[in-house]
Amino acid sequence: MRLIVTFPSSHAALAAERALLGAGLPVELIPVPRQIRSDCGFCLLADAGEPGSGPGRRRLQLLGACGAREQWQVIETEPDPSSPSSRKVKSYERYP
Amino acid sequence: MSDIRKTVDARGLACPQPVILTRKALAEGGFELLEVLVDDPSSRENVVRFAGFAHCGVEAETEDGGTFRILLRPDAGLPAAPEAARVAPAPETLEKAPGALSAQGATVFIASGGIGTGDEQLAALLMRGFLYTLTEAEGVPRRIILMNGGVRLAVEGSDSLVNLRRLAERGVEILACGTCLEFYQLREQLAVGRVSNLYEIAGLLLQGRTLSL
Repeated sequence: MRLIVTFPSSHAALAAERALLGAGLPVELIPVPRQIRSDCGFCLLADAGEPGSGPGRRRLQLLGACGAREQWQVIETEPDPSSPSSRKVKSYERYP
Repeated sequence: MSDIRKTVDARGLACPQPVILTRKALAEGGFELLEVLVDDPSSRENVVRFAGFAHCGVEAETEDGGTFRILLRPDAGLPAAPEAARVAPAPETLEKAPGALSAQGATVFIASGGIGTGDEQLAALLMRGFLYTLTEAEGVPRRIILMNGGVRLAVEGSDSLVNLRRLAERGVEILACGTCLEFYQLREQLAVGRVSNLYEIAGLLLQGRTLSL
């Protein structure tokens, strides 16, 4: 499961990226999807990891310490194989 | 028994029409060999490159009196059509949704590691974000040309490398200025795309739609 994590500012998102990467937890800094927020901003895309697992807990702690605001689950709808023009569609749901 | 053939005659058509017609023919199927006729060397190059992305073998390439004949054999074991459709969506499938993001067919010219002037960290962040949004676009650009500080985006250690690689996987041609790589002593570190020169870059910038960052 992949999560989008939002922050109060792009500075906070950058700091969180540094903290998580520094701890060996892979994340990607991306623009906030427009379905979540229409103004410009950056967020983190991260694997949620196993709930309760060491890396999962560490990620949550670090995100909390960096001022993470909201978490959104990425829902991906696979393209229709019978239609060549069909493509993967992403939507987002508040998490947890 | 000879193979069932289909012919796409794209002579006299400007880019990207030959690639679009090839893509359509591959999506339709119903043949074992696809013969594509073009009369322009860059169209020939584009069709051959596209064939690679669409998992087609190039059986033969011949030239006769200015006509290039390319013989393609789709690999039945691989999903040629969806891959081909992703690389070059048919024009009618574009911009379906209001505000749909599409850079279809454009050349994106990047001459710096960041977007705009001001804080360098913000400029770099904006460039990284922009390249990510291109990976999410319905229609990808035809090529990205990197010059001056822009070549730094495509070398090992760049945080935009992952997005440039994703774009290259979707068929976007990534060209890095050779003079610039040499100037910054980064030629050996180029990790995606290929080295180009000013003649090719100038020619490409002057043809078609170019977005300059």
